[in-house]
Amino acid sequence: MNDPTMGALPRRQTDVAVIGAGIVGLCLAGFLAQRGREVMLLDAGGSAASTANAGSLHVQMQSRFMRLFPERVASFEQQLPLYPKAVEYWREFERAINADFDMQVSGGLMIAETPEQFDFLVAKSRRERELGLEVELLERADLQRIAPYLGPAAFGAELCANEGKLNPLKCNTQIRAWASRMGVTIVDQCKVNQLRPTGSGFALTTSLGALDARQVAVAAGPGARALMDSAGTFLPVDPEPLHMNITEAAPPLILHLVQHAERSITLKQLSTGQVVIGGGWPAKLAAGAGYPVVDPASVIGNVSLAQFMVPALGSLQILRTWAGVNSKVDGRGVLGEMPGLPGLHAAIPGDAGYTLGPLTARLVADLMTGRDPGVDMRPYSPMRFQAEELRLLTAQ
Amino acid sequence: MTQTIPIQFDGETLQARAGETLAAALIAHGVQQFRTTVSGQPRGVFCGMGVCQDCLVEIDGVANRRACMTKIEKPVTVRRGAHARPLPPVTASASGSYAGSPEPEIREPALLVIGAGPGGLSAALFAQRAGVQVTVLDERSQAGGQYYKQLAVSVSASASEPGVALPDAQHRRGAALIESARKAGVEIIHDALVWGAFEPKEFIATVRGRSIRFRPAACIVATGAYERGWQVPGWTLPGVMTTGAAQTLWRTSRRLPGKRVLIAGNGPLNLQLAAELLSGGASVAAVVEAAPRPGLATLGSLVTMALAAPGLVAEGVGYNRMVKRNGVHIINDTVIEAIEKTGSGLSVILARVSGETLAPRIDVDVVCLGYGFEPANELLRALGCTHDFDTHRRQLATRRDDTGQTSVAGVYALGDCTGLGGAKAALAEGSIVGAAVAVSLGHALAGPLTGERDRAVADLARQRRFQQALWTVYASPLNAPKERCGDTVICRCEEVTFGELDAALDEGLSTVGAIKRRTRIGMGRCQGRYCAPVLDEIVCERFGRSRDEMSGFAPRVPVKPVSIAELAGHGNDS
Repeated sequence: MNDPTMGALPRRQTDVAVIGAGIVGLCLAGFLAQRGREVMLLDAGGSAASTANAGSLHVQMQSRFMRLFPERVASFEQQLPLYPKAVEYWREFERAINADFDMQVSGGLMIAETPEQFDFLVAKSRRERELGLEVELLERADLQRIAPYLGPAAFGAELCANEGKLNPLKCNTQIRAWASRMGVTIVDQCKVNQLRPTGSGFALTTSLGALDARQVAVAAGPGARALMDSAGTFLPVDPEPLHMNITEAAPPLILHLVQHAERSITLKQLSTGQVVIGGGWPAKLAAGAGYPVVDPASVIGNVSLAQFMVPALGSLQILRTWAGVNSKVDGRGVLGEMPGLPGLHAAIPGDAGYTLGPLTARLVADLMTGRDPGVDMRPYSPMRFQAEELRLLTAQ
Repeated sequence: MTQTIPIQFDGETLQARAGETLAAALIAHGVQQFRTTVSGQPRGVFCGMGVCQDCLVEIDGVANRRACMTKIEKPVTVRRGAHARPLPPVTASASGSYAGSPEPEIREPALLVIGAGPGGLSAALFAQRAGVQVTVLDERSQAGGQYYKQLAVSVSASASEPGVALPDAQHRRGAALIESARKAGVEIIHDALVWGAFEPKEFIATVRGRSIRFRPAACIVATGAYERGWQVPGWTLPGVMTTGAAQTLWRTSRRLPGKRVLIAGNGPLNLQLAAELLSGGASVAAVVEAAPRPGLATLGSLVTMALAAPGLVAEGVGYNRMVKRNGVHIINDTVIEAIEKTGSGLSVILARVSGETLAPRIDVDVVCLGYGFEPANELLRALGCTHDFDTHRRQLATRRDDTGQTSVAGVYALGDCTGLGGAKAALAEGSIVGAAVAVSLGHALAGPLTGERDRAVADLARQRRFQQALWTVYASPLNAPKERCGDTVICRCEEVTFGELDAALDEGLSTVGAIKRRTRIGMGRCQGRYCAPVLDEIVCERFGRSRDEMSGFAPRVPVKPVSIAELAGHGNDS
């Protein structure tokens, strides 16, 4: 995309190298610098997840993942307690760095059109309550009252009051500025090609030259797999190219983050008045280039479903569509030191990674600086992939 | 007699001419401000061709419709556009269960031509005559493109209504080409907004409220060009429009953009517009041309032009004579430095290309800007066709072979969308590319067609010589405003200033993508058509890079805004 030869690394060695300047990398680098560490944050540029994010703050379990990966539901459940904490943490973080993220915690609705779909929500909400979430079920009349914008097909919904939305463009900008203020050296357009343990630290081979770091955190989303592979370890994170749309501005209409019990969709209205429609419709990875491109069927399908759910959207124009890359692991984040490689940390937040970004970054920063994260981190440890790695090795 | 249709505009009844655009009708009644932006700034018609999205009004309760692309066929109620107006009530209730993703109609013509300008029509006609089944899509309600745009209002034989002059030779040549294409059997679909192109060669258009997917065996992209911005203080004021916009008002609706007009820019179109507006009774305050006055140094080029295209040179001489006979000053070596709003109109500050500001201001009610063109290559870029940066014209040129074949098999391109060449070159290219596509689809060319194709090859060479010489005559050392800073708007849609861009650059952002996300430059309705080339130029210059097909914004769909109802396939037939 840009001249890879431009610029050079400002230093040849650093205490900590954080790879990936998305929401996790920016926050993590900032926290580490705030704690007095010397941090270099390296970003390859190009299409990523955080720069393409649609700004949903997710808390309740997303039906999309439950439908697509029923075998991972147990794993999602282990992650569930982090989500309400993550939303609270966004608010705390906004205050702490004196920023304005256009954040609105106005609740999230998951809509059912049929009694069967409503039954699914009944079961889901029961399980979520057991796991400590505050959710409630709304029948048609109550739903119409709090969400009059919904079309007549809405039968009922699950409401999760601590879901919401923010503006990722504003967040990314302000968090980046904060990280700089904390003393992070941000190096853009720098692709890390290799990561090699040296015994006392790590040798990084980058598009801007060699770099030595005592500690490394990999916050590179789906790029983490190849990096960990080069370090001789295993982290099975895969890219999931997704599609999003944004409309022109409308007057305030949609208060909530809206999802569907059985269909892939998220829709919400930003403070600009624009409605962002997304929710997991696929994009395509362009051959060779590695960046995602929009699939016409997703444009038509995604916005048609949005109009079905909120009929007034029909008159709004779509101004832009874009694609980003989600990271898929096994339903949970991967947060912590890689087995057998002291100093090398994974910082992959898991599903709805943008929601989890600041909180998971802080948890990893705690682990890297020897503080108590205050959360049982065992479910998120990369240790869990050792068995799979072994199986893959023996199968070869 | 022209037929009139009453329209309601903000509570007032105005008489529109049947067939004219809403923009033309409003301007004829002295309306310059069509909407206000989110920050409260007034805006009016700028591009006049459906690109800039600044003439948005509310029509019969539906917000943000382009007045310049709306043909008056029945009485309508119009309100000035405003930010985030309430949405219209939903009539058809979408009850019942979800029927699944709509599956738009799929059409598979042998050849799909996008754009019914001179080049597209010429190619369609040739290919159809060679036996190919051709479908042409055009966004306007009438074929002809920018060069051959047709008179849309009716004229009585006696031209009894003053101001509605009969069609001229350029109209008639266009009408003849359109008629020939129709007679040959070319299918022309009007009001077709091609909003997306997808690999390998699929196009999706909305046609009067419906989406149609086109999967042709071969396609020719002939989408033309649009005018560049001239980013000086005041360039977004109502009453400031492109030369093409003013010409469209006159050539399609026989309406004048205003009473007293200043035309500024670089190139021959400005002179033609001056002559046309004078013939319609406007007063032209001056034609301000960035190039120096043609002198001995350009004599050779003038001779080349006369030899290559005597007809065009004769037209040019005619415009020049008309302009001078009317006492209009042609001010060479000069550009617009700023435009200010006054109580009664606009006050224009001029500066020499060398930088010196000229003392006298010129007061007018309309300013036309004609500072060159940008190719409309969005669809070609979306398809992944290779482009090279043309450093002389400062724009991307589509890489193609002699037959118009791009780097993507079966995707052909011609005319101004591939890099500027002019309408006459596009006409010649049409025959050449039409012939090549016909042959590629298995049609042998009959004798006469081979001869026509060969003559087109010779003609194209002549037109290219003409164009090259024309560029030499109009060469100006200054191709962008000198001062690009402070409060001057770079991005019309999102109202971002050069000052905000500078701040983002000072923060260390180094790519247009990062700057877009930081400042919102290019995030608006026009998809960055006016700001993107300027931003790319500034960023590349600052970081010592050369511009190329990857340095600017990535192509995005929809290439123009399209309503959700239309995408979903149940829009109104309006």
